[in-house]
Amino acid sequence: MSSKVSPEHPAGETGNIFNIQRFSIEDGPGIRTTLFMKGCPLRCVWCHNPEGLEAAPQLMWFDVRCIGARDCLGACPVGALQLTAEGMLIDREACDACGKCADACPAGALEVVGRRYTPTEALDEVMRDEAFYRNSGGGVTVSGGEPSMQRRFVERFLSMAKEAGLHTALDTSGYSPPGVLTRLLEHADMVLLDLKLMDPDRHRELTGVELGPVLDSARLVGTGDRPLWIRTPVIPGCTDSDENIAALASFIGEELASARRWDLLAFNNTCGSKYRRLDLEWKLEGRPLIEAARMERLADIARCSGVKEVVWSGATRRES
Amino acid sequence: MKDSCALGAEELWNPSEQLSERVARLREEYVDISNRDFHNEIMPFTTGTEWDTMWSPALWGVVPDLLAFHKAFMESLPLVATRVELPADFWDRPHIVRVAVFFKEVIARYLPVRILDGELIVGGQFNAALSRAQNRSEARAWKKKTMKWLEEIEVLNNHGMGNAGATPGHLIPDYPRALKLGLKGLVEHFRKLSAETSDRAHKEFLEALIICCEGAREFAARYAAEARRLASECDDPARRAELEEIGRICEKVPWEPPETFHEALQALWFIHMLVMVQESYPGPGLSPGRIDQYLYPYYKADIDGGRLTRAQAKELLDCWWIKPNYAYDFMYRVMRIRGITSGYGQLITIGGHGPDGEDASNELTWLMLDVIEEMNLLEPKPNVRLHKNTPDDLMARVAGMIAESQGSPFLLNFDEASEAALRWQGLPEKDLWDYAPVGCLENTLQGNDRSGTVDVNVNLAKAVELTLFNGKDQATGDRLGPRTGDPRGFRSWEEFRSAFEKQLMALLHRFIEFYDFSDSIRASFEPTPYLSALVDGCAESGRDVTNAGPEHNYVTVEGVAFATAADSLTAIKKLVYEEGAVSMDELIKAIEDNYEGHEKLRLTLVNKAPKYGNDDDYADGVARYLSRLWTEEVFKHKTPNGRQYRGGYLSWNYWIAYAPFTSATPDGRKRGKFLSNGLCPVDGTDRKGPTAVAVSVGKLGLETVPNGDSHTISFNPSLLRGPGRVEKLAAYLRGYGEKGGTALQINVIDPETLREAQRKPSEYSNLLVRVTGYNAYFTMLGKEIQDEIIARETHEL
Repeated sequence: MSSKVSPEHPAGETGNIFNIQRFSIEDGPGIRTTLFMKGCPLRCVWCHNPEGLEAAPQLMWFDVRCIGARDCLGACPVGALQLTAEGMLIDREACDACGKCADACPAGALEVVGRRYTPTEALDEVMRDEAFYRNSGGGVTVSGGEPSMQRRFVERFLSMAKEAGLHTALDTSGYSPPGVLTRLLEHADMVLLDLKLMDPDRHRELTGVELGPVLDSARLVGTGDRPLWIRTPVIPGCTDSDENIAALASFIGEELASARRWDLLAFNNTCGSKYRRLDLEWKLEGRPLIEAARMERLADIARCSGVKEVVWSGATRRES
Repeated sequence: MKDSCALGAEELWNPSEQLSERVARLREEYVDISNRDFHNEIMPFTTGTEWDTMWSPALWGVVPDLLAFHKAFMESLPLVATRVELPADFWDRPHIVRVAVFFKEVIARYLPVRILDGELIVGGQFNAALSRAQNRSEARAWKKKTMKWLEEIEVLNNHGMGNAGATPGHLIPDYPRALKLGLKGLVEHFRKLSAETSDRAHKEFLEALIICCEGAREFAARYAAEARRLASECDDPARRAELEEIGRICEKVPWEPPETFHEALQALWFIHMLVMVQESYPGPGLSPGRIDQYLYPYYKADIDGGRLTRAQAKELLDCWWIKPNYAYDFMYRVMRIRGITSGYGQLITIGGHGPDGEDASNELTWLMLDVIEEMNLLEPKPNVRLHKNTPDDLMARVAGMIAESQGSPFLLNFDEASEAALRWQGLPEKDLWDYAPVGCLENTLQGNDRSGTVDVNVNLAKAVELTLFNGKDQATGDRLGPRTGDPRGFRSWEEFRSAFEKQLMALLHRFIEFYDFSDSIRASFEPTPYLSALVDGCAESGRDVTNAGPEHNYVTVEGVAFATAADSLTAIKKLVYEEGAVSMDELIKAIEDNYEGHEKLRLTLVNKAPKYGNDDDYADGVARYLSRLWTEEVFKHKTPNGRQYRGGYLSWNYWIAYAPFTSATPDGRKRGKFLSNGLCPVDGTDRKGPTAVAVSVGKLGLETVPNGDSHTISFNPSLLRGPGRVEKLAAYLRGYGEKGGTALQINVIDPETLREAQRKPSEYSNLLVRVTGYNAYFTMLGKEIQDEIIARETHEL
């Protein structure tokens, strides 16, 4: 159970992690553990992990678990909670996610999302599945949020993971200063990069950030020997046009020589409850799933990029 | 890749279209039980005395479902039994010889002989209930003990403490030796031993073994005659030739050693089915062992000699594969709707390694995997031994079968951890490589080891209840354990733990004493000399296989409700004694009220105490403490005739049966909710995925549990179907073995398909699921077991 972290590497800056996912089999080769770093500069309207957007820890309330015990109300030192007929009202200005309410709740209806780990603590967790990485050619993936927002932690963590003999992957949105990305890449055996839209206006409109820096990052990680996997969320009405996938395919085919695999991830509509727990609005409520045949067609277009392996996955609806 | 994962009935795991027409028809004939004109139902045979018995409750002690029926069976079977003509001097002979003579007479003259159209391996009616051949005074003594036994089992079972019995089967006879020498060779060996001893009892015992073997020869000869009769009436020249060949083979084996693959399969089946006749038990746990190893020389010689093609070999294996399934005819009218009809287990083992750790798989291993996949039958239950040198292609084949199947195609046994536990148990180092499991998953040596697996089943969670209530059953107030004090007066975890240990020890000791008694009934009055002829050590020692005759003798205590007990102790330790979040007063009150009106407290226990199975060192540490505590204790004990007790984790269906008889537990479980199963975490509590649960299992230190450990994991099919997924599953299996688990079963069925099967049982009658060490047809299980399977944590992303 103990990791082989050498004592000469004192724990550096802590990182805020909102999930450590074991038996992760999508985020790179083999069986992996994925660290989800909290905090993201993008605001994609389809974001499936809204709990990863804010850098600070946040309180989540699970309506289905709440039994109305009210222990939380008294436990809150700043009086930020109010249980009403419509559910829990959380004064997000006042709440500093101290977690006292979650400790007091017998039903586990309140949870603080986001916990600080030193690199050593995080690596200890990751090393628990070392046997499975070794047998599967897997390792650890640092994802988010956007990992480069916690550059010092991630850099330290990745270097320690490399030293412990693990295969390391960096999963990035590409929205990262080139200097930061370069430093993280030194400790990454491979990169997973999200590419969503090729139209700069649509990109700005739907993700909240400029396309240019993302493409610069793509070019940075797309050359050299380090394997690159591209991932594209296929969101109806946002990223799912033939033109968009074709434009992505041209860019990837022309400029990203190290791309080994391209995953098209079909939209699914299961994250609405997460938004509610954070008092956020889920803008794609009720949007239908994509048809399987449509995904097949987009995958065919994607294959024009010349990327060896193009895979689509995710929930689809039956053909109408 | 569709929005609903439910599979239509037509997409389920049906027999393959690869089956030959002959085999498909034979398989269909077996499955279509209602329309067959013959059944392998229980066939009682009597000596005709007024005190005769052919039903022995103590042999069925671990099937408490039958408790209400024992007296009826004891009284009614003689009334419908066939009376067997016996030699004039029958009653002058010693009991062991009488048992042998009775067996011989039945198989040589009475047991039905029938050859089915098209079959290549013959012999299908073996579910006998034989007279115990006791004289009046033996019967009287037997009955007195049996009645006393029935009183105690009712107390133990009806309070949910557990059960025990001297269970037949559950061993691997030395079939390779019987094939190599032929029964003739065994008889020569027995005659030689008889000449060497002057001990009269030993000589009589050897005479009994010889009589049984000679009976088997006469039995086979009846099949030879029937085959020739059918051949003479057969118009189809191809079938006539087959029948003539069957006649030739049955004339030869199992008396003479087989020389071809066909002869070896026929000999193996005859030898095996006659054990079920003698034990008068429909095959539970009577396991053929590593058949891909000991049948391989026959296969190889035929293939190399050009006498057999791979396809012909497969068809012969297919025909052999159907045979053990006829065990299920035993009481099919009574038990068909119960889960227990699926509880038989003629377990075969393939794969594994050789004496130097080298992989032992061969062409036959691969052929048998094809047969398993294409036949899709409950028996023989397949087990694949995996080890660190299992080749990648075999690993991928196994993982692929799991991923593509509905239900678990086989048990996976992990050699390194299994052998470490057998080593701990003290078995000879040089023999460990050749171990194999019996029944569901219980590890033994082959040919010389009766380990009494599943003979004793103890509800570990009951010890928690008895600690909370000062030795009394919570529901009835009956005193079941010692007075260890009212825990409301305990001031520390150490005080509570000490009381728990006293209750647990008292519970274990009570079961050990009860099993000693159960075993003495069988050892004194119910020898099985035919089986003794097939198990090494019996002839030499002059002791029956039921009386510690084999070279290795153990009794296995299976721990039931392990995780329920472990999580209960964790909750008490942490929330009552370390954090003070819950008081013992309120905990006991809440349990007395079955948590009605105490939901807040119950949820605190559920949510605020860590649970075993999540790679949480605190909870796993308590689980390890519990596991080592009870398994090391039972290992200190032996039966009066020298059988060593040992531990195991296999809960068969008791985790359901004892749920209503176990009070609410401090892990937040209400009375009636199922206990935990085998080594599995409590349902729904393992939330960190399949790697974390494997790491938790590894922390228990399972070397003190030589029987092996039943662990079932459910995977959502979507997780295993896609590029690279089979390789990941194979890697997971390697990691599981490395962490120290001993046995794993993987169900790959999504809950939606199961719910659909519940709604439309007739359309899903072929849906197999893994229950607890055995496969069962889902629609034939009771609804509560069905619900339990649906509720199991399915690992998915």
